[in-house]
Amino acid sequence: MIVAGVGYRNLRDHSFGVEVTDRLESASWTDDVVVEDLSYNPIAVVQRLEDEPSEQRFQRAVVVAAVERDGRPPGTVAAYRWDGVLPADEEIQRAVTEAVTGVIALDNTLVVTRHFGALPEEVVVVEVEPAVHEFGDTFSEVVGRQLDGVCELVRVLATRADAVAQLPRAPLGGPSSAGVRAP
Amino acid sequence: MCFKNLPIEFDAQGKPYLRAGVANPYAPTTTAPRGAPAQLTAENVEQLLRRNGYIKELDFDPVTRVAGALAFHTVADFNARKVIEARSMATLFRGYEVIMVGRDPRDAIYITSRACGVCGGVHSVTSAMAIEMAIGCVPPPLGILIRNIALALEFLYDHPLHLHLLAGPDYSAAMVGPTNPSLLARARSSEAQHAEIHGFRTIGELMDDLNPLSGKLYLEALHMTRVAREAYVLICGKYPHPQTIVPGGMSSTITLSVMNEMFVRVAQFFDYSKKLTAIWDDLTDFFYTANPAYKQVGARRAHMIDTGIFDHPEAYDATYANAAAWGDRRWATPGVIVDGELVTTDLHRLNIGVEEFVEHSYYEEWSGNGQRQRFPTDPAGHPLSPYHPWNKVTKPRPQGQNWKEKYTWDTAPRWDRQSMEAGAYARLWNSAVARKLPANPFIESTGTSLKLRLPKGALPEMEIEWKVPDVWNAFERNRGRAYCTAFTTLIALNNWMAAMDRLKLGDTRTSTPFEIPKRGEQLGVGFWGAGRGYLTHHLVLDRGAVANYQIVTPSTWNASPTDRWSQPGPYEEAVLNTPLLEETDDPKQFKGIDILRAIRSFDPCMPCTTHIHTDAGVITREVNTCACGVDDDGG
Repeated sequence: MIVAGVGYRNLRDHSFGVEVTDRLESASWTDDVVVEDLSYNPIAVVQRLEDEPSEQRFQRAVVVAAVERDGRPPGTVAAYRWDGVLPADEEIQRAVTEAVTGVIALDNTLVVTRHFGALPEEVVVVEVEPAVHEFGDTFSEVVGRQLDGVCELVRVLATRADAVAQLPRAPLGGPSSAGVRAP
Repeated sequence: MCFKNLPIEFDAQGKPYLRAGVANPYAPTTTAPRGAPAQLTAENVEQLLRRNGYIKELDFDPVTRVAGALAFHTVADFNARKVIEARSMATLFRGYEVIMVGRDPRDAIYITSRACGVCGGVHSVTSAMAIEMAIGCVPPPLGILIRNIALALEFLYDHPLHLHLLAGPDYSAAMVGPTNPSLLARARSSEAQHAEIHGFRTIGELMDDLNPLSGKLYLEALHMTRVAREAYVLICGKYPHPQTIVPGGMSSTITLSVMNEMFVRVAQFFDYSKKLTAIWDDLTDFFYTANPAYKQVGARRAHMIDTGIFDHPEAYDATYANAAAWGDRRWATPGVIVDGELVTTDLHRLNIGVEEFVEHSYYEEWSGNGQRQRFPTDPAGHPLSPYHPWNKVTKPRPQGQNWKEKYTWDTAPRWDRQSMEAGAYARLWNSAVARKLPANPFIESTGTSLKLRLPKGALPEMEIEWKVPDVWNAFERNRGRAYCTAFTTLIALNNWMAAMDRLKLGDTRTSTPFEIPKRGEQLGVGFWGAGRGYLTHHLVLDRGAVANYQIVTPSTWNASPTDRWSQPGPYEEAVLNTPLLEETDDPKQFKGIDILRAIRSFDPCMPCTTHIHTDAGVITREVNTCACGVDDDGG
């Protein structure tokens, strides 16, 4: 299984996914868990995932990122099993184009990697709603407060199938209420 | 005559000077561009819109290399099937010039790289070159050669990406079918001339495999970007933001193993280049034959500018004084082309002719009002305009969109006050005509063409020839980019062989130590290029810190707005000349494919998922900027 962060370094709250993987990389894991920063061109992410030997392809992914969604207070954490439903071809094409022209975003990464069949069947998404979008290496207070809890949540989701099973299955963006923790 | 608008003349030794007796030589009223096309005034267009129901606004938002960065406004006459107004809008503020002020110049290598998610490395190298010039630091030969290979690899990522992921879908069955069904039917029965090279029996089959997401050519291009990227990271550590670029060369460790790994990947472009050129030759010929009006899609004056790239290690000394000499020995020759004629290859002349204007841009003027021009001459004593990048000050001023006043974050760079375009094809054109390429076994400059000898792969050894075209349009831009893939591959091969020679001599040094001076003022400029062409970084250092930093990218030229003389920017001019060839008379069904072909042929690096809005309100993507072009005052 792979634990992956997606985001940008030095972009305050939008560095959340990267920070989580930075912290978890140094934790002790069983041999079947890989922790990796996938904050790069999603086409290259497809190619990286496809490089795993067929008998060792990842069975599950836990992907962490800060994502702006309508109507969520900053600092909200949403954890869900992605239903894997892809958008229309036009949207996928847009995602591929943004991928190769340098846009790094959770939705793009998931859509592109799913479209090309590189993503594991089971994908757990952990999102945090960012408060600020600007250059800097510190989190806003409301997002920074979630860091320890999200690291622990990801550790549990990476190691306990029963915890994953309790999460709601939802489209990108997550369910409106279930699995969501208020800031 | 090099300059026909600016009052610059040359003495017997070829040194430029300002013509005597011109009181204010750079005043916009003193020297307006002669013979340039002009946009209709906003008032004219408003009257036409009010009086004629068949004249409608047609907006595209976004059209850009990153989402939302470029939008395009047009007004089209659906009776005459032509565009009567075109406005190019860069909708994001870049701001790197502002970020850089006051910093250690070495930061520029890492910060300016972030200007682009496709080709960040070219900005890193251009920064390094500007610093080298400012501080007097010359890379060792192997450092120059590896830097050249790195640049070539970036282009080998960029060109396939553009041709088959960004522009290619405009020529796919999925796109041609709905807009021009009779054309697709004809394609299905038209044999492809170069089937033995690319494997497609008919043009229709070729169009099928240009289909986005599923077409074999689309998927193959995705794979080839990986090949180039893998080779790049061998010497640069990361893509697209390298970690091994330093003033004075590269910090990479170059071994035989690295060289071999690189060769394995570069060699894959031998056959791929043969295939790309055959595909774009066949597509172009098909469209021209099917309807000669396609020669007008994206057509504009052949006005081009390119700084040249790929330095020769025996020539490059990082000085401004010798820039004309080392520029002439580059693997892609610098040059300015006006109406299809090469008017100079001299980097000094190219540099002193550049000015940036902001009449229709969201910036304040920095000259005039008695302000002192900081640099009346360049470091070689040649005259400089107050609008030259070394004199420019970036003063952002966000405000509402108004066609009569300001409507874009792009500036209007001009050379000799003329609207020039940048592109891979400009480097082909300069190199073909100038006949100044280094002696080598693979590339020959004939004066009217470039002969490219591609080594054997799975396909046999092959000589292909790019000829200076007699028309300049969207198709020739794409065809040129395909040939530029071959040109770039062979430059990579030449530099790889030269690098191997250095290694055989035991010369593994790739960088020269340097110090940033803490006293005085120094000027530097990086003359380099992106996949889309021309790239310069102009730097002013003051006591070890950046006092001014100005970037002019290819898209700064190509997406530039109409200037103070009503001369349209390149995208705008190309769209104004584009006929609307879709097989529908219903404006509501209109997709604007020919306009999009014109814009995308410049490689603005943006997908076909362009939102299009007509009076019928067809929207294919969420709008994140307003390109409606409706001014607050109705003007």
